[in-house]
Amino acid sequence: MSAPLEKDGQEDGQKGGTVGAAVTASPTTASSTTASSTTASATAAPILAFDDVRVDYRGRSSTVSAVAGVSLELRAGETFGLVGESGCGKTTLSMAVMGLLPDRAQVSGEIRFRGEDLVTMPAGRRRRLRGDDVSMVFQDPATSLDATFPIGEQVAETIRAHRSVSRREARDRALQLLAEVGIPDPAARYSDPPHRLSGGMRQRVVIAAALANDPDLLLADEPTTALDVTIQAQILDLLAQLKQRHGMTMLLITHDLGVVAQICDRVGVMYAGQLVEVAPVDQLFAAPRHPYTRALLQALPSRAQRSGRLAVVEGQVPDLSEPPSGCRFKERCPHRMPVCDTTPAATPAGAGSVACWLETVDRATNVELAEQVGGAA
Amino acid sequence: MTATEAPLLEVRGVVKTFPAGGLLHRRVVHAVDGVDLHVRRGEVLSLVGESGSGKSTLGRCIAGMSAPDSGSILFDGQDVAALDRAGRVEFRRRVQPVFQDPRASLDPRWPIARTIAEPLVANGMGAAAARDARVAELMSLVGLPRHLADRRPRELSGGQQQRVAIAAALALEPELLVADEPVSALDVSVQAQILNLLAELRERLGLALLFIAHDLGVVEYLSDRVAVMYLGRVVETGTVDDIFEQPQHPYTRALIDAIPHPDPQRRMTTARLAGEIPSPIAPPSGCHYHTRCPWAVDRCSVERPGQTPFGPTHEAACFVAAEHPFPPRTSVTLQKGTL
Amino acid sequence: MIALEPVTVTSRRRRIPMPRWGGREGMAGWIILGVLVLVALLAPVLAPHSTEAIDGSRIFGAPDWSHPFGSDDLGRDVFSRVLYAYRASLSIAIGSVLLAMAVGIPIGLIAGYAGGWTDLVLMRAVDLLLAFPALLLAISLIAILGPGGLVALLAIAIIYVPIMARVVRSSVLVVRNQPYVLGARARGASHWAIVRGHVLPNAIGPALVQASVLMAFAIIIEAALSFLGLGAQPPTPELGLMLAEGNNYLTQAPWVEIFPGLAIALSVLAFNLIGDGLRRSFDPGQLAR
Repeated sequence: MSAPLEKDGQEDGQKGGTVGAAVTASPTTASSTTASSTTASATAAPILAFDDVRVDYRGRSSTVSAVAGVSLELRAGETFGLVGESGCGKTTLSMAVMGLLPDRAQVSGEIRFRGEDLVTMPAGRRRRLRGDDVSMVFQDPATSLDATFPIGEQVAETIRAHRSVSRREARDRALQLLAEVGIPDPAARYSDPPHRLSGGMRQRVVIAAALANDPDLLLADEPTTALDVTIQAQILDLLAQLKQRHGMTMLLITHDLGVVAQICDRVGVMYAGQLVEVAPVDQLFAAPRHPYTRALLQALPSRAQRSGRLAVVEGQVPDLSEPPSGCRFKERCPHRMPVCDTTPAATPAGAGSVACWLETVDRATNVELAEQVGGAA
Repeated sequence: MTATEAPLLEVRGVVKTFPAGGLLHRRVVHAVDGVDLHVRRGEVLSLVGESGSGKSTLGRCIAGMSAPDSGSILFDGQDVAALDRAGRVEFRRRVQPVFQDPRASLDPRWPIARTIAEPLVANGMGAAAARDARVAELMSLVGLPRHLADRRPRELSGGQQQRVAIAAALALEPELLVADEPVSALDVSVQAQILNLLAELRERLGLALLFIAHDLGVVEYLSDRVAVMYLGRVVETGTVDDIFEQPQHPYTRALIDAIPHPDPQRRMTTARLAGEIPSPIAPPSGCHYHTRCPWAVDRCSVERPGQTPFGPTHEAACFVAAEHPFPPRTSVTLQKGTL
Repeated sequence: MIALEPVTVTSRRRRIPMPRWGGREGMAGWIILGVLVLVALLAPVLAPHSTEAIDGSRIFGAPDWSHPFGSDDLGRDVFSRVLYAYRASLSIAIGSVLLAMAVGIPIGLIAGYAGGWTDLVLMRAVDLLLAFPALLLAISLIAILGPGGLVALLAIAIIYVPIMARVVRSSVLVVRNQPYVLGARARGASHWAIVRGHVLPNAIGPALVQASVLMAFAIIIEAALSFLGLGAQPPTPELGLMLAEGNNYLTQAPWVEIFPGLAIALSVLAFNLIGDGLRRSFDPGQLAR
């Protein structure tokens, strides 16, 4: 496992010019190494910024802390991957952007879209933004479409909801979009109900509807999870292509590290509601820094590990109705220290940032502390 | 090398169809369309393919949960369909299924110890005290802490639920587990635990495993051999190295190329398999794959290709590869920089 | 065959509290029903007057302390009559539903689990019953057997059998294809063990919800039959019958009508609350964590 990592790490520098082009948009390395929250605004205004976002689901007897203080900035034009296992809060975060959380969810902090706070935005204005400047593709193409409505009209309807265009114009634009997402013979399929289409084709229709009003930001929540691998590859290609052509920013939410590696520029890793690491994709896979990120990558099965066992993280995700204080990964972390009881701040690391005390506390002290903790337990 | 040893499981020309369509247009879905394969003792054979490939239907036939229309399934040299009542009970004991959704595999109302003991009770094995001991033994075998014994499934995590399901499947000391996507409902870190468990059980118990999966990363890790299915037929079989390093069937190649590697340095090739899997109600003539195959020749749409050997352990059903075998895939990954 | 007792390896028992009584609503329903059943059982003790004592001086007497619900056209005490009437109403409601469950649940269970021809034959038979208009069925039965409380019970039960059978069958169809049932079969469990251990306990929920709703309706049907003169016969104290009698004097003495009406409403409310509670506790969302 360690051999390919080192090799990749060495290659990182020379490949930076091609793969990392979108990542290191800012010319000076100094600005990219400092915490992204302070510098990105200086170079180019981020298209989407999360500032200490918290989401609590209030229940009858308990409150679930689904997102606990996430701060993150998305740069215009990038594809940002948000990864984590189920229940880590990645979908909640995207729903918070869309304003689609249930009433019992309480959002605090700021989510700024082009500088404007979405959390405090009046509902009417937010609704107009949705499907227009910001749109979303959901996981299940079967349920994202109305089963009783012709697919073409579902795309046209999205256009007419935001633009005062005639039926005819909306239809023409919808046909154009269907062709663009690769629906063969769109005029013939225009009046088909969704069930006549395969899963892959349905997801193409969903994407066409999402693109209808030329959004600046596209949120894609597990857009290929329900699809077969060859169809997934087609849809990922399509998304990457469309993103290029329309100059969109894409927030891709997924549990699949393979998908992230293939199409994202930068990645954020979430664990139990906390954003533990943000890094350019090459850096994240070559030199993961947060213990959870490392564990996640090591748990991936591959032929290289055939002879041995996969590394596993012991224990389970904490109960988010009674989250532990500080770092939420601490109970499963092999490097746990007393200081982990307080929440670590995001610390710059390479071209990214890591929320882990290992980054700030002196390395040698760490090992010592870790041993003490390990010995005590 | 193992030609003398009879395989534990042998599948010969199995066909399974389902009725489809309305009353007027009665049609038939060819879910499994003439499959031959075998699993040796202690071996992990993975059955891979996309939805509609018939891999789950084949798995159900092998696990004795549905009967094939034609063809035969031989377990330990005996035709399963010809077994008498006692033979069938014995077959059931020796072949056990594990399902995809661990939560649905367990009765929500039963404490897990009761679920694990169910096969023992059903087969009248042991007195109550002996059964309790066996349940405790099975729980520790699959890594479940004893204090979970009287919990209900909903109080357990997904990984623990799958461990319970595996423990219940192991209760009768089977020789073959038929596991249909046993880890695809689990998160990566939990998936790793269950994969480790399966690998360990296989070593400790000499268990053979028919592993039905769509995740090729998991398949690569766990399998000895792989059978690739497309529209009800096995298009290629071979060892993991055969399949992943020198795949001969164009579909196998396309499938492997489509895997998004968790490594940004290995970007996917831009060559994409176009189109989608055709309907199993009206599968294409000849080789089912010819409609999507970039290499297809005239013959492919007319004749069904037979299996051509490409090595002692490797065979594929492709006319084109039979004439000119494809080069190893490693040369493709070396070009990553150019893509 | 023998159900294995849970292995008690554990000392620490942690249980997720299940809304067994269906939360506040369900609890309220059970309490009301409990009080009503108690009232019906203790009617001889609780009733201040005889149900049949005719008092000429108290014809249409207004409610007062000794006659809280007033008196009817014959001067009988309405309160005492309502207490006794609960005996008939509740026993017919509960009895008819229990009878319908006793017949309908096995039919639905067998039809759903066996499938194929068995299912087809059983369900067609049940459909035949369902095809008759309910009240017509009851009236024809009464025409044959003559009116009376027991006949009303039987008539309502017959109306309910197809409903119970259908409800059970549809949930059995879901349960029988669950992997845990398939797994049990693969592990050699007998059909009987599977039906008793897995299918029935997991499929019974919707039937119980249905049963409580049907009991509420049974009270109303039974009252309707009596109202039409097809149920219990005068002078038996019975809620529907009292309603029918009181109907004539609604303007003169509204209490003769109102109190039996409220009594019906209260029992219907109790069953409906119980139904809501059960529905909630069987809701898959509640079982989910």
